Amino acid sequence: MATVNSKPTRQLAMVFDLNKCLGCQSCTIACKTLWTDAPGMESMWWNIVNTLPGQGTPRGAFTHGGGYKDGKPVPGTFPSLREYGEAWDFDHQATFGDGERIPLHPRNRDGSTPEWGPNWDEDMGGGEYPNSFFFYLQQICANCSKPACLEACPREGLYRREEDGIILIDEERCHGYRFCAEACPYKRIYFNPQRAIAQKCISCYPRLEAGVAPACVRQCPGRVRHIDYMDNLEGHPYKLVKEWKVALPLRPDFGTEPNVFYVPPLAPSAFNESGEFDDSRNRIPEGYMRELFGPAVDDALETISREREKVARGEQSELMDILISRDWNDLMGPFTQNPAQLSRPVPEK
Amino acid sequence: MTAETSVRIVAARPAGHDAGSFGPFGSGWAAAEAVEAALQPTPLDAQPSAYVQTAWANRRHGVTPSARVAAAVAGGVLRVRVQWAASSPRPAITDNNVFADACALLFPLDGKQAELMTMGDADHPVRAWHWRAGTPDPFVLTATGLGTTSRQAMPHGVAVEAEWHAGEWAVVFSGAPEAAGASSVPMGVAIWQGATEERGGLAAHTPAWITLELPR
Repeated sequence: MATVNSKPTRQLAMVFDLNKCLGCQSCTIACKTLWTDAPGMESMWWNIVNTLPGQGTPRGAFTHGGGYKDGKPVPGTFPSLREYGEAWDFDHQATFGDGERIPLHPRNRDGSTPEWGPNWDEDMGGGEYPNSFFFYLQQICANCSKPACLEACPREGLYRREEDGIILIDEERCHGYRFCAEACPYKRIYFNPQRAIAQKCISCYPRLEAGVAPACVRQCPGRVRHIDYMDNLEGHPYKLVKEWKVALPLRPDFGTEPNVFYVPPLAPSAFNESGEFDDSRNRIPEGYMRELFGPAVDDALETISREREKVARGEQSELMDILISRDWNDLMGPFTQNPAQLSRPVPEK
Repeated sequence: MTAETSVRIVAARPAGHDAGSFGPFGSGWAAAEAVEAALQPTPLDAQPSAYVQTAWANRRHGVTPSARVAAAVAGGVLRVRVQWAASSPRPAITDNNVFADACALLFPLDGKQAELMTMGDADHPVRAWHWRAGTPDPFVLTATGLGTTSRQAMPHGVAVEAEWHAGEWAVVFSGAPEAAGASSVPMGVAIWQGATEERGGLAAHTPAWITLELPR
């Protein structure tokens, strides 16, 4: 299987700064309108943003197995459609028609009331007042360097692009066995019931090939997402992951070596029982941060805190300059082409 | 080379039955002798995926112990009926984690040289007529080893009818195997039980080629 999982010559990487996400779902909608509006893809959200702490999408997002432990595959499950959330129907006529106004509410395909969906627990968060907290977690396919999905497929239905490490599903080879979806510990692979094939985020590779950043990156009003090749020593991913070591993989214990990294959220200090700030404690429990990002999160948060304080004192900080990215184009590495300036082929009728 | 079992399916040429009586549970089948063919699980250690081998190490697959096979020529067309017990049928893929029941007739393209257990190899391909519950069009699979199957549309003249009734599937394949013209054809049978999430290389199949004798 070396032909489909050989090490790429370059690896594309992204960094998402969890301190900046607004939870506006612009990335989600940009992706949805671009890639998953075809029949059979109604309930697919290749990009999701969930409130944490929370169950995530699908429900219990990180509890369905997959990935590796001690180098061996971990058996996983593929959650049901309702655990991800169906594509709901809305009876707009009942709400906006001439008759009695019925409040708009979603319905599953069989008419039942949904019990789960994308970012279902948006307003929940964690902690207890006054130490309640929440943040948003964005997820796409992380193009893992040890991709459990690709290695699980018995028929080489997935492959890794040699030029950038993007992992794609070969829809001609995919027979819809769904071992890939079971094996992905992040549950970022969907099933198209109409075509009986698996589908997932493609990192907007047709845009990348035209020099355009992925839709989720370019549409983000919060400037959360940084993209570049990891071998660009001046690129943001290299700087944030390798040099400053403030961007970390999500759930590194899953063992798949993802190439999407996260700048962990630096919450305010916790309140003590007197209602005073207790600077010895972060409002987001350290244990929760370590569960999500591994033990390296302690040093990462300390570095971010230290560099913030430098800027507060009026000093310069390369790290803060990168994270702020005053020039929007700096986020996008070599993919700064404005898609509106590209000529597009006219679709054949 | 796969050994040939002593299982022989003799295609009947019943008189007085029209083609319409050879549906899945049609009365015409009373004139054809059905043979119980033992099945066994595909070998797990041959699955070309460490994930599949690990995930299924403590799970049963290939749970269908046997299939009842009969053949008849009616209306000038060869029909092969496969019946098997399916107390929890999966008639369609209705969710992410639902797998449909399926059945295939397998034919070596080189006489009897191809290894049935491994779906042939590069020099000895295997072809299969494949039916999957809930999928409108059956298809042809060609394989040169495990994990190599490619799909093509069913050739003209090959059709499949299926019905589940009283705890049992009956699937009728109609058409001419590529070795038509010979007096007998080596054939394999494979069954996937959706209830136990069987798919891909996880199936029950005849351990060796069985013989389908064709009427002159």
